[in-house]
Formats: sequence, C-alpha cells, structure tokens
Amino acid sequence: MAEQPHFPTGKPVDFVIVGSGAAGGVLAKELSTNGFDVVVLEQGPYRKSPDFHHDEYSMIFENELIGGIGKHPQTFRPNNNEKAEINYAPPPAIYAHTVGGSSVHFSGNYWRMRPIDFNEHSRLGPISGTGFADWPITYEELEPYYTKVEWEIGVSGAPGPFDPPRSKPYPVPPMPLKSSGVLFEKGARKLGLHPQPAPVAILSEPYNGRAACIHCGFCILFGCEVGAKSSSLVSMIPVAEATGRCEIRPESTVYRLETDKTGRVSEVLYWDKDGNEQGQRAKAVILAANGAETPRLLFLSESVRHPDGLANDSGLVGKYLMWNMHSEVHAWFEEPLNEYKSIQCTRIVHDYYDNDESRGYYGGGGIDARPLLDSMPIFFSLSGMPPDAPSWGSEYKRLLGEYFTRNMAVLCSNTSLALESNNITLDPEVKDHWGRPALRTTYTDHPDDIAMSQFLQERSVEIMETAGAKKVWTLPVAPQTFGAHLLGTCRMGDDPETSVVDRYHRSHEVKNLFICDGSSFVTSGRGQPSMTIQSLAFRAADHITGFARRGEI
Amino acid sequence: MSAYDPTRREFLRNTGTVFGASWLTARWPVMLAAGQTAATAHAALASFKNLDTPDAADLLAIAAQIIPSDDTPGATEAGVIYFIDEAIGSFMSDQTEIVLEGLADLNEMLIEQHGVARFAELDNDRQIEVLTAIEDTPFFGTVRFMTLVGMFAMPSYGGNRDHIGWDLLGFDHKHGWQPPFGYYDAEAAKKESGRG
Repeated sequence: MAEQPHFPTGKPVDFVIVGSGAAGGVLAKELSTNGFDVVVLEQGPYRKSPDFHHDEYSMIFENELIGGIGKHPQTFRPNNNEKAEINYAPPPAIYAHTVGGSSVHFSGNYWRMRPIDFNEHSRLGPISGTGFADWPITYEELEPYYTKVEWEIGVSGAPGPFDPPRSKPYPVPPMPLKSSGVLFEKGARKLGLHPQPAPVAILSEPYNGRAACIHCGFCILFGCEVGAKSSSLVSMIPVAEATGRCEIRPESTVYRLETDKTGRVSEVLYWDKDGNEQGQRAKAVILAANGAETPRLLFLSESVRHPDGLANDSGLVGKYLMWNMHSEVHAWFEEPLNEYKSIQCTRIVHDYYDNDESRGYYGGGGIDARPLLDSMPIFFSLSGMPPDAPSWGSEYKRLLGEYFTRNMAVLCSNTSLALESNNITLDPEVKDHWGRPALRTTYTDHPDDIAMSQFLQERSVEIMETAGAKKVWTLPVAPQTFGAHLLGTCRMGDDPETSVVDRYHRSHEVKNLFICDGSSFVTSGRGQPSMTIQSLAFRAADHITGFARRGEI
Repeated sequence: MSAYDPTRREFLRNTGTVFGASWLTARWPVMLAAGQTAATAHAALASFKNLDTPDAADLLAIAAQIIPSDDTPGATEAGVIYFIDEAIGSFMSDQTEIVLEGLADLNEMLIEQHGVARFAELDNDRQIEVLTAIEDTPFFGTVRFMTLVGMFAMPSYGGNRDHIGWDLLGFDHKHGWQPPFGYYDAEAAKKESGRG
C-alpha cells in the first residue's frame, strides 16, 4: 500500500468527507482515485477484519459496534406531545461506529430500487398529509451507478422476473441456497409467486482479490472476519488508501462545520482520539455521516447567518425521516434447517413491490426468508420461541432443543411515507459524553405503512403454511421505535424551498457543501437502501469531480 | 407484601412486535460496558468473588429451575452461577441491586409463607410453585436473563462450560461452514443433482 498521507490541518485539503460508511467510503475512493486529496473523518475506531469475532453478548447486548452503552445516548418519542426517553436497547437510530460505518455490520441485501420508486408521486398523485414527492433523478440516470456498485464492491446475485432493466449481469453468482430459502421458495411457488435469489453484498466466490464467504453465520450486526462482506471497509477504503491521497482519520468526532464571511464552509471542527479540538480546513466538504448524524451536525453548525442550522433555509433538515416498515413471521419445521449457518437471506419475493390500488392504501414491499437474530444462541433463548411456549423449566429446556435448529423467519419490508412529523432533532436536555445535545428521534409509522406491513405479514404466513410448517406464529404489526434505515432527512430536489440538496447533492445554500448518504432519499424504496445509497455516492462523485475540475465549487 | 417495586425496569417475554422489536423483547438491559469478562475459576468448590455463599446457593437453585438438569446437563453443570458471580461484579453491576434485594425480599416472603429461610431449602415442587408466582417480576426476569446469558454466551464469560448451553440448542460453533447447511437444502441439492 502507498504510504499514508498526513495532511496538515491548517492547509485546505481538496475534500473533507465526514463519515466512512456506505456513501463516505465510495466518495473517498472515487475522489482520491480521481486525483484529489481527501481527508475522511470517522467517529469510530479503525477496526479491521481480524478484529471482528463471534461474541454475541458483546455485539448484541453491549452494542459493541453501535456505540456502546452510556457514551452516545439517543432519545425517542412517538410524537412531539411526549417526552423523549433514552433507549439503548436498541438505540432509536442504529448505525455502526467504525471505519466502514454500517456497511460493516449490515446483512448486505442489495436490491436495486425500481423506476417507480423515483416517480411514484407523478404516477399516483399526492397523498394528503405527507411529503410524498418525486426524485429529481430517474432510475435510468442511476442505472449505470447501480451496475457500478455491483462490479466495484462485489454483489452476488441473479436477475429476477420483476427486476428493473440492467446494463450488465451480476459479477458474482448467487450465494448457496439455505434451507430457509428452499422452504420459502417451495411455499411461494405453490402460491403462484415468483421467488428469486437474493442479491447480496457478500461474495459467493473470490473477487477482486477478496476471499469468498465461509458461511460462519455471523453477518447481521457483526463485522466479517474474512472480508467477504462487501463493506466499504474492505471494498472501497483500501483502494482509496492505495492512492496515497486519502487519509482516514478514525476516532475523529466532528462537532461543527465552520463557515467564512462569504458563506462557504471553511473548516471542519472535530475532537481527535485524545479529545483534543482540531480543525481541518477544506476547499469542499461532503457530509456522509448517515441520515441521523448528518442532520444533527447541520443543526450543531448553526450560526448568526444560519440560525436554524446550516443548509436549512428550507426548514427540512432532519424532517421526512423514513425507516422502512417491517414485520415478521416465524415458523417451525420438522427437520433441522440450521439457520445459524451462512448468511441471513438467500431468497426473496418481489410480487408485492408495486402499489396496488385495490388494497385500499399506498405501499409496496418485499419479503425474504432469513433467521433474523434467532440464529444467535442468547437472543433465541430470550425471545425466539412461540408465544405459547413456557419461558423457563423442563419443557422450556426441551423446546429450546427442538426449535433452535428447526425455526426460520420471514421478514417483510416496505415503504415508509415521508412525514414532517417523523424527524431527527437535537434533544433539549440529554447530552452525549462530549456534552453535545443528543440525537432525538420522533417517529410514528403512517397508517398506510402499517397496513402494507400487515398485508405482507399475512402473505408470509400463507407462504410458511404452504411450505409445510408445523407451526407458524407472528408478532403484532405495530409502530416502530427504532430503525437502521436512516433515510430522507436532507432530501434531494430542484426547488430550494422544498429540498435541502440539489440533484447533484450540493446543498442549495452553501456552494462547497455536499450531502450524500441516506438523508438524500426522497422516497424510502421498498426496504433495502444501502445499494441505492452507494449508487447515489458513485453518481455524486462523478458530478463533484466534474465541478472541481471545472472550478465550479 | 410487595417485594417488587413495579417502577423498576421490567423484563418482558414474548411481547415483541416487528423486526428488531424482537430485540425489544429481549430488552437489552442498560449496562455499563465494563468489559471485564475474564472466565472465573471453574473448580466445583471455587469460592465466589461477589456473591456470599447462601445467596449463590439460592441463585444457583433458581438458575437450575430455569434450565434444569435432567437427561441432559443444565444451568448447574454449565457453571451459570459463576457467570452470575462474575457479571454482577462487573459488566452487569447495574443489576446487582435488583438481584440481591429481590432475593432478600423473596427469602423474607419464604419465612412468612413457607417457614424456611432460603429459597434453596425448598423442595423441588415448592421451588417451582414459588417461581411461578413471581415469574413476572423484575427480579425473576433479571435472574432469567443472567441465567440465559450464562448458559449461551461464549464460555469466556464464565458460563456455558464445555459448550453445554450450545449443545442443548444444537448450535455447533465452528469458524465456518460449507453447504449443505440443513436438511432441506441438502434434499434440494440431491434432487437437483439427480435431475442433472
């Protein structure tokens, strides 16, 4: 690897990127390979593949990758009539604090969005009381970048019957089918549905010098020990570092963007790993801190010129948070599935992706077969059994042995409507360990989102029953209190009155400030956003490169 | 009497809602990340670091009712009590009060209602009866949580000795796997190769 640069903080570097995750990693790689000097500021430490492990207690119960317990309190309230309370179990906005961000701990479902996700408002008309709108870009504009994601990071998959047009096949074949996928496929086919291989950002074969998945079973919320999960950590950041023009600064917590007299961002203020205040001067800044931390940082950067937060003349910073709605179904079969082995998801059903007016509410979604966290021994023992099972004693013990290897789940994911009342703000009372106001999430799923989720859950029950399950049970479909998909909080649009960034991710107000992460989303898609976050980042990098070369920043 | 302050944090079972709301079901306790997770001495008669011996005997008896030893080993053989002893002195220290005060309250109630001073002195049927009566309390929920973590966490935390917990589930901990993973994908692969 090229020697790593150490850019002086006092000299403006070409780009400072805040965040090293799905979007930040792509931007760092693209801009550094395009010849620019880049400093990436990441609040988490620089863990690498050998640092990851299978310790369920630490990862799931002590929040090892998602900020730990105590230092990063977040608060949640369902609406602004209620007082927000701290929750760690889990935090309301779930994201990984580590180089590579949440791409390190995601389960890697890499559906593309479809043309309707970008123009559904035009097709269906407005939905009263919501911020339902079209994107300023189309699927066709983004398609080359979806393909780029697949080939640059390594996505395993095979086309399905409802997939949007693609310009190239998948670079790597689908992952081997698990028993959950076999049963799900069997039930779905008998019902006349069209199950297809799940596209995942996990390597089924060696690719780009990286090893294939060893099916260890510790994907969701864990980091990959062999680098087979196509996180920014292993797919993008090494390429950026190899240019010798990209400096990754881990354990660097950005607390403010400073603007100069001309209204441009001049300096990014952060605490380094020793807690010292630092300021990195920059010609341009890209926020890729995720859909929760990005708006928080804009609020924290308020000034006389920007009293409601930086880049917030529209008043929409932090608003229109979308989590994607989810529901789940659990099933018990005669023979062992051993879902604790291999990746989460190998089959999906997209028959209900489109809106269908006959349902009586807006929405669409996808269904997939997977163990969820019931592949984890502690988690399963606490909550993985059917509601009518005892929770301690001889019969409980016997059933643990019956169920652990023989259960599977079906996860339903669907649209979230954009609502102003669902948002990220600064908590007026709770502070984090740096003394900054804590992230406060206010969220209640729209009734249509819940109705759609209920519909998908009912279909999933039918699939499991048709597949021959001995027992099927559900958890009630109810408003969510946390989310890992952090979307919509700095939405993209052509009109500065109704959006925060333009179609190139440039903030409407601050010419040298770009924002590119889940916050740019205008609609939520049907449930797996990382693929689209990364394709937006590749596209943004192309445009930002053009602006920089033409002196238009 | 009410031994159990309802304002204390509750642990719920089987009441989750949506994805990840099964996380809520588990109710991650708010714990200080102490990270002191060294395995303790495993000798059968090892002394306890944090528990006094009578408390340890009672907690062991409760853990042994949660995961009994029958035709296969249970919480006793898995060393769950050594896990609890370690945990309440370090990474679960914020729950020490719930456990020790709850146990003291329970034993006080036993003197009044059953005429014995300690839970461990009850016979098996009485133990089950008493625990059934308190199974919705924060005390029982906390001891259950600790028992299950002690049973199923990595052995480095002091419990799950000889992988007794994992063996009970059928969880085989290896670095990696190759297909087939389960019965149904193996059957599907056989059919596929038969066809080919």
